[in-house]
Amino acid sequence: MTESPAAPLLAVRGLSKHFTVKNRGPGAAATRLIRAVDDVSFDLAPGETLGLVGESGSGKTTTARCILRALDPTGGSVLFQLPDGRTVDLAKLSDRALKPVRPHVQMVFQDPFSSLNPRMTVGAIVGEPLVIHGLARGADLEARVAEVLRRVGLKPEHRVRYPHAFSGGQRQRIGIARALIMRPSLIVCDEATSALDVSVQAQVLDLLKELQAEYRLTYLFVAHNLDVVRNFCGRVAVMRRGRIVELAPTAQIFAAPQHPYTRILLSAVPSPDPDVPMNFQVAEELAKLDAG
Amino acid sequence: MEHPAELPLLEVQDLRTSFITPDGVVPAVDGVTFSIARGRTLALVGESGSGKSVTAYSMLRLIQPPGRIVGGKILLRSARAGEIDIAKLGERSGTLYKVRGGLISMIFQEPMTALSPVHSVGHQIAEAILLHQRTSKAEARRLTIEMLAKVGIAQAEERFDQYPHELSGGMRQRVVIAMALVCRPELLIADEPTTALDVTIQAQILGLIKTLQRELGCSVLLITHDFGVVAQVADDVAVMYRGRIVEHGPVRAVLKNPQHAYTRALLDALPSRRARVA
Repeated sequence: MTESPAAPLLAVRGLSKHFTVKNRGPGAAATRLIRAVDDVSFDLAPGETLGLVGESGSGKTTTARCILRALDPTGGSVLFQLPDGRTVDLAKLSDRALKPVRPHVQMVFQDPFSSLNPRMTVGAIVGEPLVIHGLARGADLEARVAEVLRRVGLKPEHRVRYPHAFSGGQRQRIGIARALIMRPSLIVCDEATSALDVSVQAQVLDLLKELQAEYRLTYLFVAHNLDVVRNFCGRVAVMRRGRIVELAPTAQIFAAPQHPYTRILLSAVPSPDPDVPMNFQVAEELAKLDAG
Repeated sequence: MEHPAELPLLEVQDLRTSFITPDGVVPAVDGVTFSIARGRTLALVGESGSGKSVTAYSMLRLIQPPGRIVGGKILLRSARAGEIDIAKLGERSGTLYKVRGGLISMIFQEPMTALSPVHSVGHQIAEAILLHQRTSKAEARRLTIEMLAKVGIAQAEERFDQYPHELSGGMRQRVVIAMALVCRPELLIADEPTTALDVTIQAQILGLIKTLQRELGCSVLLITHDFGVVAQVADDVAVMYRGRIVEHGPVRAVLKNPQHAYTRALLDALPSRRARVA
């Protein structure tokens, strides 16, 4: 495959993930197909932040997981540009071929409580990716862990402590440090700030922005909170029922949403301004949309 | 009504709820005073650990050891049962049982944990009726189906015999609301009622709570961390920080012109505000 210098870091084309589920009850067909992700395509430019928003079951997390190959996609391609300029299709690589690629694509999880092993020290958690990939050990490992902890706003001496000693915001910083230590080019943030209080959320978002500028990171930011996306993402893709219904620059999505579903979704968000009334008639409008 | 209109339904005075731990006494609620008029909605807003949920649980005396109410008054001026100081009631007093689920009821955050997985939803709602009212089982069933229809559950008759796992998250929260309102409480406490829900479902549930409140004429104590929900649903707001109310007033006044530094900091941390500043 030939690549121009302006090539996207990630090009997702026709991505789909189908699940077969068993039906219950009399008179039903034996199985049914769920199209969790259904022909999804988008590009990620180097250094940009794309928000992937949608409600439960819209397919946003499944899309993210297919890109990370935590799930094997049913179809489509996920073209990823490596730092050396080669392009690989993450959707089709074998497990063995995938391993050297994985350091470049990292993830920050939603729940800072369940995504950190309570029996490992912070130093072991943050250093583990380097150990697994055989990239550092001994004094070098220690030094890199200390440096990355400092970079995310924690103290190097925190590395001997266990996750339970940290607050939700600090734990999320530990999760960010674990992703950052691999010097990835792409970080997938799956609801990375959803579990946090607003003031802590603001601090973590600020940190992610600083790191992006410093390391030229590209973010795929999966979220259900439209307010967070508005402030954090350059472009937004709105998902519903496995498909992207609208993808546009953030300002445009919020100022002039084109798809009726986007309009309904935005109108349902309770504004903290008492003079901007929210829409309580969402159910009726969604029913009308589905009726065509 | 036996009480003059100017006296609020609920008056909480200098409430103190502490947790007595081996490492010392933690004053989770540290001298909180507020009141709610009939038919009004007060939002108690704050971050994790601010004491808003402990305040709500204190209203129903649901604080478990090592926590306990160590001071203050919780005056409920019930149209049905007269004036009651909930803080002073004995643990096994009949009045307390009448308060819980009868005069005051509660909607919890997580509908799946608030509902029993092994009883049908209709059974769970009818149980509340049978506990608080003298009715036959057939009448309780009729009232339950009527309430299920009122909270927007289609084919309420068939839903009666379904179990929580057969319902979606939004449907479950509707069932929890039906259960809370079926005994016509004078005060409804809603503890983060929509935090676990998608935004389009949240809009429906908030709309439902507003409509039913107007219809039944009850007051609402809304516990939330979301200023959007406060602005759209509440009449008054009290901002909690470290067990105290730092600012209290009508929603519009507080959100448009916050006086306390903590309120301002919280509002400034909102992504929508930050976007405007940036």
